[in-house]
Amino acid sequence: MASREAVRAAVRQVRPILSADKGEARKRVLNLYKAWYRQIPYVVMDYDIPKSVEQCREKLRQEFEKHRHVTDIRVIDMLVVKGQMELKETVEIWKQKGHVMNYFKETEEPKPTDFLSKFLAGHE
Amino acid sequence: MAALVQGVRGALAISSCLLRATLPRATLVGLQQKGIHTNLCGVTPSAALLTSRNESKVAAQRWMASNPGVKPTVVEIKDRVLRVCKEFDKVTRLSLTRQSIRLYSDKAPLSLELIRDRVLLVLKLYDKIQPEKLTLETHFLNDLGLDSLDHVEIIMAMEDEFGFEIPDGDAERLLRPADIVRYVADKEDIYE
Repeated sequence: MASREAVRAAVRQVRPILSADKGEARKRVLNLYKAWYRQIPYVVMDYDIPKSVEQCREKLRQEFEKHRHVTDIRVIDMLVVKGQMELKETVEIWKQKGHVMNYFKETEEPKPTDFLSKFLAGHE
Repeated sequence: MAALVQGVRGALAISSCLLRATLPRATLVGLQQKGIHTNLCGVTPSAALLTSRNESKVAAQRWMASNPGVKPTVVEIKDRVLRVCKEFDKVTRLSLTRQSIRLYSDKAPLSLELIRDRVLLVLKLYDKIQPEKLTLETHFLNDLGLDSLDHVEIIMAMEDEFGFEIPDGDAERLLRPADIVRYVADKEDIYE
């Protein structure tokens, strides 16, 4: 009982990664969004991807919405850092077209629903 | 040729000194740029390009030539300054300069109404806002149902429209079109 309270008190004052409070974390997130938003026309031009600027912006919005529910500040900071790393690689053209197009690829294959697909997949 | 250019430069300095106190910033930039343009080209402005500013330069040159070594008194200077101020008309002045020389880095003259129209136009073109609900006082987050990322996109559209950066601290306070209009008017020094 006492140990549980001690753990709770310790967890409340954990060391921050980048931002100390929600306001700062929110600023970082919005700046990252702005930077990506402004870079998208150049991404489309440099990598010559078969997507339009609007589609890329929609995808950007989707990626940010994926993590909308996150409340832990350290997790938010980590996600922002990863986003900044991706942005750096995209801006400096260290990536290639395939890396950029990976954003548009679904990582999970949809499960087969009708009989034939299930048969071909081996009744999975 | 060199003497003429020097004379033009001298007259330009005089008219700049006189007008610096009176002209607003944008027109002064236009003035200096036009001066730089003339000096760099080293070409005499042809008669077809003579504007009223050139005419005042020529008049100043003639005055200097006719009264050599005579320093103008304070009363005379005051009269000339007051005459120039009275004759100054911002709209025609800007239209005259635009006629003869192109100022690629200058912006169009703004008024509160023009800012209002441009802000509302940009917001109407944004597809997440319904134009019927949009007025100057509608709150982006509460009334129009947008979220903070949409707000960021709107502020970026305003930055692109008016051509200057809006820092984060100010941007998070601009939550209605009226706020944006007032902010742009403050930054561009428009008081009507």
